[in-house]
Amino acid sequence: MKYWLVLLLAFCSLTATAKDYLITASRPNTLHVIDLAARKVIHNFVIPGPGIASAISVVDGGKVAYVLTNHNESVAGIDLDTGKQVFRADMSHGNVRVKSMLALAESLDGKLLYVYQIPTRLNRNDYQVLPTRIAVYSTAAGLAAQPLRVFPAPRRISLLAPTAKGNLIGLGWDLYLFNPATGAIEKTFPLRHWQRKGLGEPDILDFWPQFERAHMLSTPYYVPRTDVAATSPDAEEVGVLTFDLDKEVMKATEVGAADVGFFSSVVNPVDKNQVFAMMNQLCKIDLASGKIVKRVDMEHTHYAINISSDGKELYLGGTINAVSVYDSASLKKLAEIAIPGGGDQGAASLRVIER
Amino acid sequence: MKRLIPLNEKARSLASAAGPDEQASLMSNVAGCTTTFDPGWEVDASGGLSGLCHPMEADLYGCTDPCWWPAQVGDSMNTNQDWTDGKNSALRDWRQLQSLFPED
Repeated sequence: MKYWLVLLLAFCSLTATAKDYLITASRPNTLHVIDLAARKVIHNFVIPGPGIASAISVVDGGKVAYVLTNHNESVAGIDLDTGKQVFRADMSHGNVRVKSMLALAESLDGKLLYVYQIPTRLNRNDYQVLPTRIAVYSTAAGLAAQPLRVFPAPRRISLLAPTAKGNLIGLGWDLYLFNPATGAIEKTFPLRHWQRKGLGEPDILDFWPQFERAHMLSTPYYVPRTDVAATSPDAEEVGVLTFDLDKEVMKATEVGAADVGFFSSVVNPVDKNQVFAMMNQLCKIDLASGKIVKRVDMEHTHYAINISSDGKELYLGGTINAVSVYDSASLKKLAEIAIPGGGDQGAASLRVIER
Repeated sequence: MKRLIPLNEKARSLASAAGPDEQASLMSNVAGCTTTFDPGWEVDASGGLSGLCHPMEADLYGCTDPCWWPAQVGDSMNTNQDWTDGKNSALRDWRQLQSLFPED
């Protein structure tokens, strides 16, 4: 009883004072913390070692952001208040080079870190491709972190996300639901292997984790229609895939002919039928009607998009050196937050947390 | 070849190394070095430019860092890790990015 009381008090304390912060990264190998209400970058932390910072995992109320760096071969845990490196997992060892193609995620309680790994043995006259896997680290493992365990995982996974039921979803050519305690794939949701009448195989490129506010993983996809001529303007459709991280349910919704390019998308936490996606245009999508209901041109391309906890503001980042703020109702640009130093964000994650 | 005897450490390691494997495997995933050879970057899916990132420099390091277009831009993940060092803004610093040659 006392345990639940403490949890309740902690929750009330967090929600009473919690604010939205945006965590992203830019060159050279720098992590940024942005106070969104103040429209201000409050911390710029240089990550030790070479390379640039790319994929970021951080949970609500979290003190540490886990960042893929060192040419995708290391994960650094950076304290969000002091900038001190408190966790480091250098994944390569000996002649085995281990990279992660941007897929890492913490458990919801922040105690475990899951990293999708692609190992290759670099022999003197040949490279030996080794099985891909997910490594599980304790986030308390310190500066010489070694995995608690590893388990095999299919190739081509580029996104990981924890579910409320304690599972882990991995986006690859299909969507795999892992039990991270046993390593078993509990369920596979077919994407490349789906059999849908009138549609071919969907094509997905997404390594931007933007699921935290709505507890919904989402990604745009492109799919050829097999029931019209290949030369037809309607021969290719764009759709939005969503995976409910609370209910573990997947849904795919085509929203029209593929006349617009999307890199990534985010679900509105207060209306989960509303999705925002962008590349050169920012679009509002209604999943209930399966339509793009509003679109605006942007000043330049963005890769990543996230949303405020109240669903009222959109944050667009990636590519160059600024985070753009848009109103989610009107899609009007409200502000631009410059990244100090002017370094490009590139493919860095854009995470919004409450703390 | 059977009459050749390795005399130094490198020759011995080569002699004991595994031979070519008959099975070829993809190195990594779709988003990763040299596994994808889509046409693109210079033109979009319809042969035009409107579907590309703009300005072009906005997309440059997003392609370099995850090694997306390894023929068109430097591969800063593996073979040319220092290609963009000190050139932190593609918009500002693109003139300093040098051509790459095999010996680099």
